[in-house]
Amino acid sequence: MDAHTPPPPEAGPAAAPAAGITLVIDGVEITAAPEASILQAAAHGTAALTANIGCMGQGVCGSCRCMVRRQGERQVETRLACETRAEAGMEVSFIDYFIPEHRHVYDIAEVTESWGLLDQLNAIFPEAAHCRHCGGCDRACPKGIAVQQGVALCVAGDFDAAARGFDECVMCNLCTLACPEHIRPNNLGLFVRRATAALTLRPIDLVRRLREIEQGAMAVEIPPEAGAGAAPAVEHDA
Amino acid sequence: MRAIPATRGPRGAPPPPPPLAALLQSNALLDDAALAGATPLRADVLVLGGGGAGAAAALAAAGAGRQVILATKLRMGDSNTVMAEGGIQAAIGPEDSLQHHFDDTLRGGHNSADPHLVKQLVTDGPAVIRWLIGLGMHFDLEKEAGLGARLLRKKAGGTTVPRILSHRDVTGLEMMRVLREAVELHPRITVMNRCPAVELLSDDAGACVGAVLYDLEHRRFLLLRSPAVILATGGSGRLHLGGFPTSNHYGATADGLVLAYRMGARLRDLDSFQYHPTGVAWPAPLAGGLISEAVRSAGAWLVNGHGQRFVDELLARDIVAAAILREIAEGRGVTRGGRVGVFLDTPGLLARQPDLLETRLTGLKHLAHKAGFDPRREPFLVAPTLHYQNGGAVIDPQGETTIPGLYAAGEVSGGVHGRNRLMGNALLEIISFGRRAGAHAAARPVAAYSRGGIEHVHRWQRALAAAGLPRAPRAPLLYPDYAPFSLRQHAAA
Ligand SMILES: Cc1cc2nc3c(=O)[nH]c(=O)nc-3n(C[C@H](O)[C@H](O)[C@H](O)COP(=O)(O)OP(=O)(O)OC[C@H]3O[C@@H](n4cnc5c(N)ncnc54)[C@H](O)[C@@H]3O)c2cc1C
Ligand code: SF4
Ligand code: SF4
Ligand code: FES
Repeated sequence: MDAHTPPPPEAGPAAAPAAGITLVIDGVEITAAPEASILQAAAHGTAALTANIGCMGQGVCGSCRCMVRRQGERQVETRLACETRAEAGMEVSFIDYFIPEHRHVYDIAEVTESWGLLDQLNAIFPEAAHCRHCGGCDRACPKGIAVQQGVALCVAGDFDAAARGFDECVMCNLCTLACPEHIRPNNLGLFVRRATAALTLRPIDLVRRLREIEQGAMAVEIPPEAGAGAAPAVEHDA
Repeated sequence: MRAIPATRGPRGAPPPPPPLAALLQSNALLDDAALAGATPLRADVLVLGGGGAGAAAALAAAGAGRQVILATKLRMGDSNTVMAEGGIQAAIGPEDSLQHHFDDTLRGGHNSADPHLVKQLVTDGPAVIRWLIGLGMHFDLEKEAGLGARLLRKKAGGTTVPRILSHRDVTGLEMMRVLREAVELHPRITVMNRCPAVELLSDDAGACVGAVLYDLEHRRFLLLRSPAVILATGGSGRLHLGGFPTSNHYGATADGLVLAYRMGARLRDLDSFQYHPTGVAWPAPLAGGLISEAVRSAGAWLVNGHGQRFVDELLARDIVAAAILREIAEGRGVTRGGRVGVFLDTPGLLARQPDLLETRLTGLKHLAHKAGFDPRREPFLVAPTLHYQNGGAVIDPQGETTIPGLYAAGEVSGGVHGRNRLMGNALLEIISFGRRAGAHAAARPVAAYSRGGIEHVHRWQRALAAAGLPRAPRAPLLYPDYAPFSLRQHAAA
């Protein structure tokens, strides 16, 4: 199929509707299609979005984090705008992506000593041991991850379980924003995930193939007619 | 394409779709006034784009001791890379070989790929996986973990051997969060979020010596001088070519193609795009999003409005997509909430294999949950979605374009896949060629920072005027046109 095949009649995210629901996003009243996500509603607002938008619905980039208050409710929740349906009377404010002042800096290539992993974790993330079990991170997480428990597993050295716990984390940083102890639970979880892979994953089929390549036993031969179907390239001559 | 300004080189290159052609022949966003007021900055290597290719390039260049700036339009990691589900190809199976991977890739691309690039790609495969593991990326194993374990391998359409390695159905997420952390923690890499490239800088000899960025937060232009620039700006799904929905992220607006072409770089296969057959058609909020090939592999049927199957669901992507479009064009589609498509018969599949949803198709389960219905009872409505830009900037095996100092890696480059891409080869490409471009760029002499300017833009504008196109639209587009973004108004505010 090429680019000129007749198109299906609809394109792009849900087009702005004639009759829709009204909600307030960052102080601006917006009308959206009844089925639209908050992010789609925002994308069809009056100004182009240049932040808080990425994968647009898959819910994997974590950029569209926002605070949401539903009509008639007191409580404010943190959500991913692309995974949350817009509702009439909702109030939404997007949360800036902040660059943390100080980070827990490490080079994974230097985390080589599996006997000392717990010590290294404590050295890089000294605050992790001070969790006060306030549950702020759990309430903040739009992915329903048991963040507090994940922190505890990291500190206990239960590394595989901790790594599994953070498997669906999209690094939206909402737990980090919520944590009064500056633990940065998502970065801690990612450290443990990275360390467990880097220290323990040694697939034997990969090891064998790498050795074969090194020994020159895996040559690739380019047949004479290879690439003959290529179309000519273009450049301008201005 | 229509030759305005005239195209050079072998004649008969197939024309890009009109909206892309219009962008390629557009005027610059930037003028001399903006340039004069720009804040100067320097880097040994400048990487444009914060997806997988950009991250790999930055890590390779910084690993070679260079000071790197990585500038990206959205936020580091907001990209097509983070969205990849299925997996990455590498020939590691005992019955597999680099040659099999080479042959499959070349055949899959209808023998139109650059064989030297394909050879590089497949040869790098195993080392790429090892590098990713070293950075801390997880891959699924066949059975339990431990020494002696083997990687779980899946089979992609169009391949002879199972060769897809994955982390469940979130391979791109796992890859991108590891790469982003490595980049952000690296002492020699500075990440500049929300700083799209709006033009490249050229010197008197026509080499690329930097780029002009627009800093959205401070509403100012940055003049970034660097002896090597790596374009890693990804694809163009958000142009919605042909009126199609897309699976791509918000920033996929062909910026890299526009900048490279204006600078004089050679581009190829600009008419060639991949459509994924099973994009969501309804419900509308999910339109364009992917339903993984795994659902068809598991045995789900495609059914038209007459309740009939119309194609072997396991054929190559382009064939299945064309069959769906034919059903729709000939009036056998299904309309729901104003959207047309065909049914992906999940109720039938799940009646035959009830436990699938909990075991192999967790992604489908999540998707159905978002869509708000039970896939055991209701089928999805699907239609093809614009998925991948096959073509792009011509590169050599080190990732260098036809412009000295300008590199390209990832979806913005062309030739690695030819006119059709196999599943899993894009994730391999971004790491393989991203690292190559980064390493090669790092080897360029940094002693002399060239002043650089936009003489190539002036030449281009004279050519536009001569061709009677003085008022050509301005590009790169930067953002999709759902809501208008005007750089001039933004910068003036
Ligand atoms: C939903 C989906 C599923 C996929 N699944 C698979 C799969 O299973 N296997 C596989 O191999 N491939 C898959 N692909 C394809 C693959 O993910 C992409 O081709 C690949 O990740 C592209 O990487 P990249 O680094 O070249 O571009 P991207 O990851 O898209 O990164 C480009 C970056 O450049 C930025 N940018 C754009 N314009 C500018 C500018 N002017 N200035 C500065 N920065 C800019 C973007 O915002 C973005 O951060 C999938 C793609 C999608 C969309
Ligand atoms: S664990 Fe933290 S960073 Fe990860 S998804 Fe939950 S809130 Fe976001
Ligand atoms: S927010 Fe911080 S202190 Fe509170 S439970 Fe979570 S990790 Fe512990
Ligand atoms: S836009 Fe990516 S998670 Fe919402």
